[in-house]
Amino acid sequence: MKFSRRDLVKAAGAAALLPLFPNAGFAADWAALEAQAKGQVVYFNAWAGSEPINAYIAWAAEQVKARYGVTLEHVKIADAAEVVRRVRDEVKAGKAGGSADLVWINGENFRAMKAEKLLFGPFAHELPNFKYVDTEGKPTTLIDFAEATDGLESPWGMAQLTFFGDGAKISAPPKSMDELVAFAKANPGRVTYPAPPDFHGTTFVKQALYESIADQGLLPLPAKDDEFPRAVAPLFDLLDSLHPHLWRKGQQFPQSQAQIKQMLADGELLMALTFNPNEPANLVASGQLPGTTVAWQHRAGTIGNTHFVAIPINSKAAAGAQVVANFLLSPEAQGRKADLKIWGDPTVLATAKLSADEARFFATSVVSGSVTEPAPALPEPHGSWVALLETAWLESYGT
Amino acid sequence: MKKFLNSFAGFLPLGVLWLGPLLAGLLAVLYGAFDGEAWLTLFEHPQLWPALALSIGTGTLSLIISALLAFWIVAGLYGGKLWADTSSLMGGFLSLPHLAFAIGLGFLITPSGFLARIIGSIAGWAVPPQWVTTQDPYGLSLVAVLVLKEVPFLIWLISALLARPDISQTLKGHFRVSQSLGHGGASVWLRVFIPQILPRLKWPLLIVWFYGASVVDVALAIGPTQPPPLSVIIWSDLNNADPAFNARGTAGALFLTAALIALALVWLVLKRIFLPAIWKFFTRGPSRRRTPTITSGMLLLIFCAIYAMVFVVLCIMSIGTLWPYPNLFPSEVRWSAWQQFVMSPAPLLNSLSLALASTLAALGLAVFWLETVPEKLDAALLVFAIMAIALPSLLVADGQYLAFLRVGLNGTWIGVFLAHLTPVFAYVFIVLKGPYRAFDPRYRSVSLGLNADPMRFWSAVKLGMMKPALAAAAAVGIGVSIAQYVPTQLIASGRLTTLPIEAVTLASGGSRPLMAVFALMLAVVPAIAFLVAARVGRKPL
Amino acid sequence: MTLLLENISLTIGDVLLVKSFTITIEAGEIVTLMGPSGSGKSSLLAYIAGDLSPPMYGNGHVTLDGVDLIYVPAERRQVGRLFQDDLLFPHLTVGENLLFGVGRGSLKKRQHLVTEALASAQLDGIENRMPDTLSNGQKSRVALFRALMAKPHAMLLDEPFSKLDAELRHTIRNYVFAHLRERNIPTLLVTHDREDAPAGGRIFRINSKGELHLA
Repeated sequence: MKFSRRDLVKAAGAAALLPLFPNAGFAADWAALEAQAKGQVVYFNAWAGSEPINAYIAWAAEQVKARYGVTLEHVKIADAAEVVRRVRDEVKAGKAGGSADLVWINGENFRAMKAEKLLFGPFAHELPNFKYVDTEGKPTTLIDFAEATDGLESPWGMAQLTFFGDGAKISAPPKSMDELVAFAKANPGRVTYPAPPDFHGTTFVKQALYESIADQGLLPLPAKDDEFPRAVAPLFDLLDSLHPHLWRKGQQFPQSQAQIKQMLADGELLMALTFNPNEPANLVASGQLPGTTVAWQHRAGTIGNTHFVAIPINSKAAAGAQVVANFLLSPEAQGRKADLKIWGDPTVLATAKLSADEARFFATSVVSGSVTEPAPALPEPHGSWVALLETAWLESYGT
Repeated sequence: MKKFLNSFAGFLPLGVLWLGPLLAGLLAVLYGAFDGEAWLTLFEHPQLWPALALSIGTGTLSLIISALLAFWIVAGLYGGKLWADTSSLMGGFLSLPHLAFAIGLGFLITPSGFLARIIGSIAGWAVPPQWVTTQDPYGLSLVAVLVLKEVPFLIWLISALLARPDISQTLKGHFRVSQSLGHGGASVWLRVFIPQILPRLKWPLLIVWFYGASVVDVALAIGPTQPPPLSVIIWSDLNNADPAFNARGTAGALFLTAALIALALVWLVLKRIFLPAIWKFFTRGPSRRRTPTITSGMLLLIFCAIYAMVFVVLCIMSIGTLWPYPNLFPSEVRWSAWQQFVMSPAPLLNSLSLALASTLAALGLAVFWLETVPEKLDAALLVFAIMAIALPSLLVADGQYLAFLRVGLNGTWIGVFLAHLTPVFAYVFIVLKGPYRAFDPRYRSVSLGLNADPMRFWSAVKLGMMKPALAAAAAVGIGVSIAQYVPTQLIASGRLTTLPIEAVTLASGGSRPLMAVFALMLAVVPAIAFLVAARVGRKPL
Repeated sequence: MTLLLENISLTIGDVLLVKSFTITIEAGEIVTLMGPSGSGKSSLLAYIAGDLSPPMYGNGHVTLDGVDLIYVPAERRQVGRLFQDDLLFPHLTVGENLLFGVGRGSLKKRQHLVTEALASAQLDGIENRMPDTLSNGQKSRVALFRALMAKPHAMLLDEPFSKLDAELRHTIRNYVFAHLRERNIPTLLVTHDREDAPAGGRIFRINSKGELHLA
């Protein structure tokens, strides 16, 4: 999934922003909604570059058809930004029945749609299954980058920057940026990252910023033009020392994380990166990577966030879309999604608090390729840093 | 007055379905570019100038190399035993879309690719070499794809020219005369034939030039990234969520187009300057050098070998799930990608419905025009047709997106159909125009003399005789429609997915087997169309 | 069968190209029309056939077997034509070409007509061949028989021999004339070569003023 580029984070007090949502009179309303949803066609605009994700959505479509009579159509898109643009254009053109009913979204795209009032709702907190969401342990389910979700989007899955490679070739995975520089020096040409503004590339640079900046306290605050160069000087020192040892000597960068993954599978690179901690294990399970694959996160933590589903304001099937969103939050759907053999997208639910009956959907066995020592999730820096970082990066390395 | 109405009837469907959308797109893009902020941010983009240089460099280099190789091969093989096969082979190569070829060639030459594995298995490399092949900073792999695809296009065009009786008669005569004046074959080609053929190829060469300098899908698959060609920067701007970026993309598309047109004008000036030197070369006197038959044959062989390898590699890729270096064959073979393709046939069906509909409409429009509008107006239509093809599809498609927005056509099948019809009609008209206008009107007189009414003459004689041309035009139309990436992506707005859309999405996001399946399907559909056309052309029924 | 050309004239735009003339061509008679190129010979034939296109316009009556043809569309006039080129339809076989102008009928009957025609043309066994596989002499004869099989009540020949080489030209000429006379078809032949005119036949000439004279 191409998430967003301009990320906003107000990490502090995320849980405190939890709105008070009504619990009473709920079931009756919901039953009415389900009745209304029956027979509706929901166009789910979701990124579709990966077989497991497409297969999972196809499964969900079968389930909501059978259970609620809702037809879920997966509109395969390359970039969620397309949908934002389309909905905006449709609303501007006064088109009543929009082309999208449910969107896979977060970060900048969400912020844009929220700011431009392109979203239906608030609805998320009224969904019956929202009660399972781990809003305390996973505050990013309520704060999408720096933007409060305000019930305009329903959490779907979790993400955290994770690295992986073949354990047979890597004895000691580099668990900090400094170690990564040393690792690249020892293995010239076998490490790389996608060029910003690719989402994974930008995340990697943000991670490097976290680990190099003198005062991490600056990051949740808006970046100031005059202070920016001084703040990022250590970052560019770090990248300057890293780049000569990268693939193609840091002169060229792959276009996407997917490409890096393929190059790892082909043996061209020693390690790859992902925003889905379960992806490496998933690749092992589907036979695309060897069983000796290991996955790791930096000791001091890596950047993490949540991805959501939202309903555009001009949806023709808002009731059906809510029914689908609710189904996607069910322990069954979340458990299946987290299953490495299916997709391996981490759940947004508080699994510890589920009843035994609900928890049975979650697999417990440890598989090769999963992260053995999870590190804390670091909140995204304030969105204003991103554009400055990307421009600075392009000016230094883009030509 | 009646005559005027008659002509007007010829314009009407064309105006609604083709000229209208084309001009609306161009106007919309010009209107959309009235945005000072967009131009400011465009010129502040740190990669603008290097990216522009890269675009122009790859486009120009691919044009020069393609033209040289095409003439080299034609000069060596024309009139020889291999000639008939060569020209039909090139028609076949032509049908393979650039994108499919780029995906296959990419896996052939990448450091962990098929070639590296073959060499590595002999040389005993344990890890892939650190070649700089695909995504090389100078875009040479992009140039390679363009050259390998454009040479068949140019040879196909040259062979069509040489197959015209009037031209082949003239050239035959010129050959004899030149030979009697002491010129060898190579000299005749350089001094007599090429100067006569080149002016007739000026529009195709311009199209090749602009295409190479503005292509998006191939550049995404195999082009350099830091900086990428300008087309890729524009493309990501156009697809951004932020309208400010969209506006910058529109400005960028216009800027790239303006730069290319300026470059073409510079070339016209340069040509003037070079002309005396060229004349001097023409009149330098005879050279006895013969045509390069052997090297031409070898070049042809290399082309065939690369095309065959690309095809084989794509086939293996489509079933190889786990295929680690340095294995020559996948360690695990699964048909899952094919299964998945068959299970969700929407991209194929959408591609087919768009290709068939746009081709049929284009044939109808072209025949209607050619039957109702006097020949002297062809030249005017030709100008628009060439515009529809030569102008970067980024520009035309962005304009049509902006125009269609106002009438709610984006995201509809009709909208995508119109966007496809823009280049499809242009190609179909160009292919059909020559044979159609060359039709001997006396056949009509003979038919009338044989008691056949005009309708019978038209259906039994004219269409029958035009069948090979109609079939060829249809094949070209289908090939053009199947390969459309930029307009489909913009106008379909995610509501309609086609073969190239899926192929690019996969190239950016993952499954190699599935990507190979889509690349193969991209190749198969136009190939079938060309085979059918070649059959119809050979043995008229 | 008689072809009557009455007060025929020809204009190009507002300019009179051929001045009014009258000729009667009797059944089986072959009348020759000569004149410099651009004098309007071929256009006259087109006018008679009902196939003249702007900017040329014709005037006068064309009467065939007592029927005024002026308002009869070209395909119903039953006026056959031969041109410099054989103009065989390249996408049809010889047999299909021959049957192109023959009215509907049983397959067997049509098949028989083809066999008969090819036999009398001494071209037996070529009915399934494509025109481009024939020799020039064969093509000319097939073209003639294609025209004859449509049962024309008059024939217009527009320099039909000019592209043939000398020897073939002589043979084909006599061959065509013999068949036309045998069928009693009134024929108007346009040529610029006096040699092509049948011996003893009437010859008209268009002079530079557009006047028609008996030579």
